[in-house]
Amino acid sequence: MAEFSWSSHSPLEHALATGVHGLRGTEAGVSLTEIRNFDLIQVMARRGKWAELARAAKTRFEVAAPDGPNAVQAKDATLIWSGPDQFLVLSKDGNHAMNTLAPAFSGLASLSDQSHARALISISGAKARSMLAKLSSLDLHPAVFPVGAAAATSIDHTSATLWRGGDQPDGQAVFNLLVFATFAESLWHTMLDAGAEYGIDIRYSEELA
Amino acid sequence: MRIVCPFCGERELGEFTYLGDAKPQRPAADAGEDAVYDYVYLRDNVAGVMSEHWYHGGGCRSWLKITRNTLTHEISSVEPAAGVGAAKVGV
Ligand SMILES: [Zn+2]
Repeated sequence: MAEFSWSSHSPLEHALATGVHGLRGTEAGVSLTEIRNFDLIQVMARRGKWAELARAAKTRFEVAAPDGPNAVQAKDATLIWSGPDQFLVLSKDGNHAMNTLAPAFSGLASLSDQSHARALISISGAKARSMLAKLSSLDLHPAVFPVGAAAATSIDHTSATLWRGGDQPDGQAVFNLLVFATFAESLWHTMLDAGAEYGIDIRYSEELA
Repeated sequence: MRIVCPFCGERELGEFTYLGDAKPQRPAADAGEDAVYDYVYLRDNVAGVMSEHWYHGGGCRSWLKITRNTLTHEISSVEPAAGVGAAKVGV
């Protein structure tokens, strides 16, 4: 069998230019940060195995896996609901990569490695919700979409997983967005257009929020 | 039009795809050609309340069974289609 040497690249490598986009001369209203180098595993319960999978997940992560549209923060992972009886495990440094999760959930779930199949974008800032409101049909008001709320939804006709992470120290909301890698650049440009009037602070990071 | 997905909550129509009548049931293997023809091709053109299959492809990717009035678009029930949610159906 041929040996391959895979080197991973961000799907936003070409589109992302750090700095300020759009309105200048005032504090940027939106902050867009691409998060790079994460592990993302899709976990789908086998038929009739959800209860057992939930127990195994509780043992491993020490928090209950989401059984509805929520994201749950564990010590070193985020569990994000992605549909009935399924969730995504977001982590880094190999703590919950395929090689360790597969034996933990053996016989209970089908696993699929999405680490290089999605782009992860963190959206914050005073105008984050105003920018997202142009693209999403969801009500993202904090009364309806509080910290820990998650949604499998479509943004600009593109499938996306959206959830609210923990607030920033200054109390501002943080929205996290997972999008298919091949659609990431398109959605990125759409967000740049939508946020230009507020000013966008663009960065990338290797740290999970 | 908005549909309240039993898994996701209220969502816009654009996230869903319409399949059609949820009534036809696959006939038994020995049911004969007429029964299969009926199942594959013949549909009632309902003016009123009917049961339909919809797909939440732009959301949780679940098949749903929806009771909808074709004259008013009023939706009176939304439930998971058979087999959706391994833990929720048939256990
Ligand atoms: Zn749904």
